[in-house]
Amino acid sequence: MTREKSARALWLINGLTLLAAIIFLSPVLYSIWMSFQTSDAYYAGGVDFTLRNYEVAVGQYNFARYLLNSVIVSGIVTLLGLSFATMAAFAFARFEFRGGNLMFGAVVATLMIPSHITLIPNYLTLARAGMLDSYAGLILPAISSGFAAFFLRQYIRGIPRALDEAAYMDGATPSKVLWRVIVPISKPAIFSMGLQLFIAEWNNYIWPLVAISESDLFTLQIGLARLYRVNPGEDVIDWPLVMAASTITILPVLLGFVLVERHLVRGITMGAVK
Amino acid sequence: MLRKLTPYLFVLPLLGFMAVFTYYPILQSVNLSFREWDFMSPSKPWVGFDNYRLLLTSRDFWNSLKVTAVFALISVPLRLALALAVASFLIRETAVSRIARGAIFLPAVTSTVSIAVVFSWVFSTDYGAINGFIALLGFDKVPWMQDPQLALYVIIFVNTWKQLGYDVIIYTAGLQAISLEYYDAAAVDGGRRFHVFRRVTFPLVMPTTYFLLVISVIDAFQVFTIVDVMTRGGPAGATDMIVNMLYRIGFTLFDIGTGSALAVLLFIFLIALALVKARVIGRRVHYDS
Repeated sequence: MTREKSARALWLINGLTLLAAIIFLSPVLYSIWMSFQTSDAYYAGGVDFTLRNYEVAVGQYNFARYLLNSVIVSGIVTLLGLSFATMAAFAFARFEFRGGNLMFGAVVATLMIPSHITLIPNYLTLARAGMLDSYAGLILPAISSGFAAFFLRQYIRGIPRALDEAAYMDGATPSKVLWRVIVPISKPAIFSMGLQLFIAEWNNYIWPLVAISESDLFTLQIGLARLYRVNPGEDVIDWPLVMAASTITILPVLLGFVLVERHLVRGITMGAVK
Repeated sequence: MLRKLTPYLFVLPLLGFMAVFTYYPILQSVNLSFREWDFMSPSKPWVGFDNYRLLLTSRDFWNSLKVTAVFALISVPLRLALALAVASFLIRETAVSRIARGAIFLPAVTSTVSIAVVFSWVFSTDYGAINGFIALLGFDKVPWMQDPQLALYVIIFVNTWKQLGYDVIIYTAGLQAISLEYYDAAAVDGGRRFHVFRRVTFPLVMPTTYFLLVISVIDAFQVFTIVDVMTRGGPAGATDMIVNMLYRIGFTLFDIGTGSALAVLLFIFLIALALVKARVIGRRVHYDS
């Protein structure tokens, strides 16, 4: 009797928990649904499926280009950021060199430095270099990740040195040891860092807002904010169109999230709790 | 010889970019904060502390500081309390808990601009979901984002909704690190659930709470995107967070000197907080070992 009752209570709790999770996400879920509705149906309160909003977002508002820009910029930032961080992490973890501790300190200190202090000076630096309104201008300030270097250094220190030494005995150079021994073993850590770098850059807003005025170079974030802001007057916003643009903006990360959520959670908790 | 150079070559790219895009800008900001400049004119005359004086006597600055402080005072305890409650509730590693935690975590990795746009619709006066419900119940529409009394709370709500999942996974890790022995001991003592929470869980998870406290205060002082998309700091400055003010002074008014002075002030404050965080983390390591 009591067991039956508690089994039923468990079902109820589980059901309510899942319902609460759906309600929690309902604004985003509904925005995706809305993006497939015609404006007329939406404002009249009906249901009428269409892909037209996506056609307009891509055709009239250049969202395919913004998507491409976001992929290029986030992709390059992730690749270069990971390479630089891994190389530095290897040096900090495995070599004793003069100034090494000081340099590592300088890398870790960047974790505390709020990025807003770099806004105006970096704008000036890139203006002087003629790199505003270019991919380089979006990419270069974003590729030195102190957090990734710190995190990977901790990880590499946990790898037995005997593995390096065996490779050196076979005549390997330091770069060979890094790419053939350390990197393959560190794959899980490098993967979680890569995810974090990619997501952070994908969602970056303030820097592209400052550095880009040429609309062909807008990232999705800027394109979406502009589309929503073009006609700020409440009655003229075409909400289903805006939601189609928003869905294009979140979909890549959303799909990726379903696949890699565990890696992401592990990376973040390792970084925070360690 | 080459062997000696190796580590330097490995750290060079990272440190080179950091020097140019992180460390040099700090010095440059301090330098510019003592000058008057508009991006255009060829000279940047030295004006001493004038920019700081101007800032500290301006209404906008104190308004922005107040708005940001109110934001932090409300959103930080709200985030922590909700996150601890949710993490405790979902602590068991069942499929349902994991799905629910995933759902709550999702907004933390989703585009802030998209979230701000979606909630602009949720809270929009004429077509929004919330006013739809309110109308259904027979009440008048509420101008959520146009009312200076309400707009900041809308921003706090959206920010909390977005960040909650991050706090939940950190708390989950913190709670799961607490040894089960403590709970067993408390259970033997006949502790009731709330009692166990207050006397056992809460004190033991305190280091995580400190960590999240500092992180979320730092976050609060760096909010920009949600405000920029939803309200642009309005109505009447009611949501004008510090970084939004910084952006406006620097990139729409082109007052580089004052913008830099504001950046430096905020920088000093956040570094002080970060040092507190570093001490807290240091203490936590001692707890662990």
